[in-house]
Amino acid sequence: MASNTIEASAFPIAWESVDHSLDECIKCNICTMYCPVSAVTDLFAGPKYSGPQADRFRASDQPHSPDHGVDYCSGCRVCNDVCPTGVKIAEINARARAQIVQDRGMPLRNRLLGRNELMGKAGQYTPRIANFALHNPLSRVLAEKLVGIARKAPLPRWSLTGSFGQWMQRTRTRRLRSDKKVVYFHGCATMYYEPFIGKAAVAVLEHNGFEVIVPPQNCCGLPMLSNGEFKAAAGYHRSNVARLAGFARAGLPVVGTSTSCTLTLKEEAPELLDMHDAGSTALKQGTWDIFEFLADLDARGELRTDFRTLPLNLPYHAPCQQRAHRVGKPALQILSQVPGITLHESHARCCGIAGTYGYKVEKYQIGMDVGEELFQFVREHAAGTEFTACDTETCRWQLEHATGIASRHPIEILAAAYGLYNLETRELT
Amino acid sequence: MLDLLVIGAGLSGLTTALAAAEAGLTVRIVAKGLGALHWSAGTIDVLGYLPGAPFAVEEPFAAIAQLPERHPYRILGAERVAASLRRFQTLIAQAGLDYTGAPDLARNQLLPSAVGAMRPIFLAPAAQQHGDTQASAPMLIVGVAGLRDFYPELVAENLAKQGIHARAAFVPWESVADQRDRNNMQLAIGLDDPAQRRKLAQALKGLMRPGERIGMPAILGMADHAAVMAELEAATGATLFEVPTLPPSVPGARLHAALRNALRARAVRLESNMEAIGFGVDEGPQGAHVAWVETATSARPLRHQARAYVLATGGVLGGGFTSDPTGRFWERIFDLPLTVPQDRRAWFRPAFLDTAGQPVFHGGVAVDDHLQPLDGAGSRVFANLWAVGGALADADPIMERSMEGIAIATGMVAAAHVAASLRTRAATVAAA
Ligand code: SF4
Ligand code: SF4
Repeated sequence: MASNTIEASAFPIAWESVDHSLDECIKCNICTMYCPVSAVTDLFAGPKYSGPQADRFRASDQPHSPDHGVDYCSGCRVCNDVCPTGVKIAEINARARAQIVQDRGMPLRNRLLGRNELMGKAGQYTPRIANFALHNPLSRVLAEKLVGIARKAPLPRWSLTGSFGQWMQRTRTRRLRSDKKVVYFHGCATMYYEPFIGKAAVAVLEHNGFEVIVPPQNCCGLPMLSNGEFKAAAGYHRSNVARLAGFARAGLPVVGTSTSCTLTLKEEAPELLDMHDAGSTALKQGTWDIFEFLADLDARGELRTDFRTLPLNLPYHAPCQQRAHRVGKPALQILSQVPGITLHESHARCCGIAGTYGYKVEKYQIGMDVGEELFQFVREHAAGTEFTACDTETCRWQLEHATGIASRHPIEILAAAYGLYNLETRELT
Repeated sequence: MLDLLVIGAGLSGLTTALAAAEAGLTVRIVAKGLGALHWSAGTIDVLGYLPGAPFAVEEPFAAIAQLPERHPYRILGAERVAASLRRFQTLIAQAGLDYTGAPDLARNQLLPSAVGAMRPIFLAPAAQQHGDTQASAPMLIVGVAGLRDFYPELVAENLAKQGIHARAAFVPWESVADQRDRNNMQLAIGLDDPAQRRKLAQALKGLMRPGERIGMPAILGMADHAAVMAELEAATGATLFEVPTLPPSVPGARLHAALRNALRARAVRLESNMEAIGFGVDEGPQGAHVAWVETATSARPLRHQARAYVLATGGVLGGGFTSDPTGRFWERIFDLPLTVPQDRRAWFRPAFLDTAGQPVFHGGVAVDDHLQPLDGAGSRVFANLWAVGGALADADPIMERSMEGIAIATGMVAAAHVAASLRTRAATVAAA
């Protein structure tokens, strides 16, 4: 590239506010054509009607939302993806749900599902008992009858080998020290249910010469945001900003393996909660989804490519939350360099679980119907397939639940490609 | 590095990318959302009306000579426009969609629109073909009771006023769907299910009179469209045709899907929800080059580098241009000079439907004979930037009914220019 590159941003970036974006709607209905939820149920009128259209009647002096069906929006953001004019439909719907919650309170069930971190903490010291309490058939029936959590929905299990935090603590003397440092955002699922994801991430980052710092941190707040509990979510976000923005300001990338958490830190929390203070913005700009980060390294020629041959037939689904980052599919770009892997890219819209959506008894079947397109894709590639890959934990659980094929985070695949990780046992080697 | 970055996912962007991939280039498409194809009737209009002329054009290629001098068709020449459309017809057939035109592939056909007007169309999806208003068989226009986006009585009445034998009837909602409140796209997907189309065939049989051809809203299948048509025709014994609906438009979505699949098969990524928000410039010996284009992400901008760039973001309609209340009009990404009047009062003529068209829709990006944008002094703005489709100046695609023809012809030709220019550059580098 010639030397005198002129930085010419034609126009300043306008981060239009959610509410104003509805004026951009040209009523083309492209969103309605692609919404996976309204395609399978009559209970949801679709993005255009529930979003920009109904929002005209949701002024602050208009206490009740005209459209209660908006609660059936799964928040998958497929509509945002296809809208030609940039209407933030999913966010409009999320705010409408929050308004409904404010008007008439929230069911206990949604309160529970929103408190992933609390649940994680509660079970971590006696995981066997907690797993039994949560997973035995009787309690699942009770949970469905009493609080409305679908009995068949794929709930997680607490880790039996301790939390990710305990592992970091235990292995601290063995961790790499380096001038190159990143901050790792693990999220609740890695902390309490799937510590192996965090171990794989640390192994990959250290293999590439990075020291991994894991400061105290909170739930990103997404489960609360998607259940309309905005006030509690704001508390979590404030606390994460207080704990992490300093690192971002100092130029340390904040890297996460849960693509929904990184999306929340970057965009969902500041945008839905109108938190555009300097700290939130620093954290937003400093946060990276892990494969986004690795692809950036790769683009600069700094990613290690000492891969072993990994003979895998690998259907990969980029989940809704990953696609909402709008960075392409960097996991494909990296994994395609590993010898032996045959990648199959899913073009399905959504797995149906959409965070906590598919856990709810009245939405479980909708979620399974939405996911059918993805399950079908996996079944087409099932021959010789040991694993599928997907970046979000709940989506992996849904995929396993529906297809019976084990699912892995792409970072686990990459760690295995470096020879650092066993995909069967999910342990570092 | 990529050979080509196409910005925009409407028909012009998709066609450019497909033609470039066919020429062996590595291509990526970035777009703010999915393009205008989803609201189009799915037909390929080349030239339906000349500015100011009251009658429809019969032979579009022959009429090109009467267009303004810098009209995109004049820049390309009638021969290359015709060749591009023939090539498109082949490519789209390979992608699984049959498009047909008049037997000599030189004339327009007159097909009924969603309100029963006669539209001069060059290529139509095979399913719309039997709606030809020049054929004599009487038409039975069948709507679905409860469907909000198609009004058979309106279509039939307007056709009858124009001397075409047409009457309207309805099939019950249950013959196309079990659930209420379905849109056209969902109905079309529902009819991919053989059980559902058997119900529809049954309902149609009860309505027909001997000798009639049946016109239905364009909902007859999505992935299995051809099979749906064939089965319904076999079951009813009648000739069947589709009439476009209000958006969302299934024939447009089918065309989008066919092009998207053809691109996937050639490893071209279509990234939607990636809005271009900035670019960088390199000053090289051959003048200024676009060095990169940035798109918005959930945090920091994402940089895309390519050897060549094609602007396919459309004009006013496609969202490629925007304006402010003072009357300033600009191209959103590169701020290219526009020939649109920069004075609000000059945007429109007094009559809304003036046959001469509206000046605001006539302006756009002026280009040279290679479709490369020019500045006010007539020099290329960037050595590696091309523009296609609705953004181009000196055409009024809505009034002329030339939107798809311009998109396809300029897309095909720009892709050829890009490929040639990259070859020349590679040769120069090799020689050096
Ligand atoms: S896709 Fe966007 S512009 Fe079109 S109807 Fe939906 S919200 Fe409106
Ligand atoms: S977020 Fe998903 S479920 Fe909700 S309206 Fe958009 S596409 Fe439909």
